[in-house]
Amino acid sequence: MTVIAVTGKGGTGKTLISALLIYFISKDGYRVLAVDADPDSNLPDALGVEVSSTLGDVREVFQVSRDKIGTMDKEQWLEGKIYAEAVHEFEHYDLLVMGRPEGEGCYCFVNALLRNILKRLVRHYDYVIVDSEAGLELFSRKTIEVADYVVIVTDMSKKGLETARRIKALSEELNLKFKDMFLIGNRISSKEAEDKIKEFAKLEGFKLLEVLPYDEAVVDLDVRGEPIVNLPEDSEVYKRMRRVVDRFLNIRILDGVVEWQRGLRLKSF
Amino acid sequence: MAVERKRIEIPEGLKVKEVVEEIKEFPFDISPMYEGERIRKEDMFVELGGPGIKAKFELVIALPMDQVNDGKVTIVGPDLDEMEEGKSYPYAMIYYVAGKMIETDLEPVIERRNHDFQNYLEGYMHLNQRYDIWCRISKSAIKKGLKSLAQIAKATMMLYKNELPFIEKIEAIYITDEALVEKLLKEVAMPIYEERDKRVEMLHDEDVDVFYSCTLCQSFAPTNVCIISPDRPSLCGAMTWFDGRAAAKVDPEGPVREVQKGECLDPIKGEYAGINEFAARESGGEYTRVCLHSFFDAPHTSCGCFETIGFYIPEVDGIGFVHRGFTGTAPNGLTFSTMAGQTGGGKQMVGFLGVGIAYFRSKKFLQADGGWYRVVWMAKELKERVKDFIPEDMRDKIATEEDAKTLDELKEFLKRVNHPVVTGVVRPVDGKKITEGWKEEVEEVKEEVKEEVKEEVPATAPAAPTPAAPAVTPTAMPTIQLPTIQLPQPQAIPAGIKLIIKDAKITIDKVIIRKAEKGEK
Repeated sequence: MTVIAVTGKGGTGKTLISALLIYFISKDGYRVLAVDADPDSNLPDALGVEVSSTLGDVREVFQVSRDKIGTMDKEQWLEGKIYAEAVHEFEHYDLLVMGRPEGEGCYCFVNALLRNILKRLVRHYDYVIVDSEAGLELFSRKTIEVADYVVIVTDMSKKGLETARRIKALSEELNLKFKDMFLIGNRISSKEAEDKIKEFAKLEGFKLLEVLPYDEAVVDLDVRGEPIVNLPEDSEVYKRMRRVVDRFLNIRILDGVVEWQRGLRLKSF
Repeated sequence: MAVERKRIEIPEGLKVKEVVEEIKEFPFDISPMYEGERIRKEDMFVELGGPGIKAKFELVIALPMDQVNDGKVTIVGPDLDEMEEGKSYPYAMIYYVAGKMIETDLEPVIERRNHDFQNYLEGYMHLNQRYDIWCRISKSAIKKGLKSLAQIAKATMMLYKNELPFIEKIEAIYITDEALVEKLLKEVAMPIYEERDKRVEMLHDEDVDVFYSCTLCQSFAPTNVCIISPDRPSLCGAMTWFDGRAAAKVDPEGPVREVQKGECLDPIKGEYAGINEFAARESGGEYTRVCLHSFFDAPHTSCGCFETIGFYIPEVDGIGFVHRGFTGTAPNGLTFSTMAGQTGGGKQMVGFLGVGIAYFRSKKFLQADGGWYRVVWMAKELKERVKDFIPEDMRDKIATEEDAKTLDELKEFLKRVNHPVVTGVVRPVDGKKITEGWKEEVEEVKEEVKEEVKEEVPATAPAAPTPAAPAVTPTAMPTIQLPTIQLPQPQAIPAGIKLIIKDAKITIDKVIIRKAEKGEK
């Protein structure tokens, strides 16, 4: 099981990147769990799907119902609700939307239960791709066990780069042991900006996965409110992200992870 | 009143398959690593129970040794080899268990494990419990050789015997016949589930040997030690004694642990030697005694997550309650958040007590101090929520913010309804009169000493800040809020002198604050 967290300053294109990662990796036959951890959730829209219930919704129902659960096991009750209502099954992947943050009252107990439940759930996927908010709260709070890879998305702005730097510093401070931290530049429209990002990556110790240009096709979909997975195959962003996924999966092989699973799965096609 | 435990009757004419021989090998892997395995719709061979099926349940029945055929499996209705791929079927799993240590109380504890053990089976998913069960068998399990539910049952029973050695005999009946599942659900399962839920009300502190401690929130309050007993559920509202038992059984080294209650030192206050010892150790010595059902003596500490706060109102010698979410001001002039600051933090703060809503339901609710008969004021929303637990003769005697917003209004109200605090509270648990009722206006500081109850106060003042502290700081600012809670507070006393205050009610007419002269303490 490999967990990839996608983060970065708001507005830089995290959801775009997450959606395309989910799209490509799941189409390649891997078992994928997509997690929308942004309270201002857009991942379902980007993927072109609808969700009826979030983890936050289930958690709130638990908080108000727990007195009425009687002598039944609370963790099992919660787990059943999460599997039945919060984990959405789509053709190539499953999707879990974290939903709203905590309300009033004590969440110690329910969060402890959720940690156990999520730990067991994520074990059964090859990839867990998490569209996070601009930070690493999900991991610092250990709601999901530490990510293996973190992909930070930035645009041309100084602010985007600054956020990237901060996230890296925070992860070191919190001693979150990631296997690697990657950088993706999005909406890069000049050679100068591209060079700046390359330099930044080198300086700060990021592996630069890709530089994505400003793509009319993406803007087009955005304006029409269409899911990003509808991106035409000949658009730059599509082509480059496809390359990113291939490269990434190769990095994993080079990391020593045997991809026999992939082989088995492709054989069954 | 107890539901009779007996073997179920299988009506004539139904397809019955019996398997008695031992199965040594299973076509599926068995390991805890399969826990959480989710079988997607497109991967499933069949679904058993689940949201599309009305009749489904799992049930453990404790029976005498001679009534259980160890290792036997009976399948009633279609088995896997007769099921259509992609469809959902009714499903009941009944286990008969027998053993020297087994009694009906253990049934739910054993039943819960069905979920855990069945999830160890590769290619089989089990969700929920009781009448909500939802199971799926994967296509790959069938491909690997799974042919019959008897294999599932045998594997589950094997795990049961391995993990729970007190089960000496276990037998399984799996039913997929709709009519029979529905009938048994209604006539056997539901009555047993209801009986178990009622048990929650019937089990008391004296019936068990262990309580449970929870330290989940110690990251917020390191000296907080929550004790959960049958008569005192957690103040955060999350856990009952039954939840504690389940959690401790699953993870004995985890945040929820068993605590031997030991000798009962005071049954009315709820003080136990084992609990005191545990609290002293786990709080780092912060306190050495805990009285589960007392407001004034060694009260139970809180982390800050309490659902409600009880506060003492000395002017009327009664206790008030506010709940989290109450935005107004209590008659003592304080809000929930202000009082929360005094109540939390893992310290024993006499005069404030963090309480979970479920505790209002307890038969031992604050019994040392008169329980409901000492409660004078509650926030309306809270009172509404727990009104079924208020004894009839007290329902109209407890004021809300609609009846009284200030202390004067409260005094008037209590006099008018003739609340027990006015004339003296007789506590129901032993019929003893524990308070004297209101006295006339006090002109000077008076100290009343009573014989019955003795409170010993240590010679050294505690380090914790007290409600009175803000007012006696020598460098206090011009506007000083007189403390509205006045209680016997140990002041700094020269060494060698022990201050013993017996059941005192100290009212202070004047607080004089002046700058300390040189050389004065």
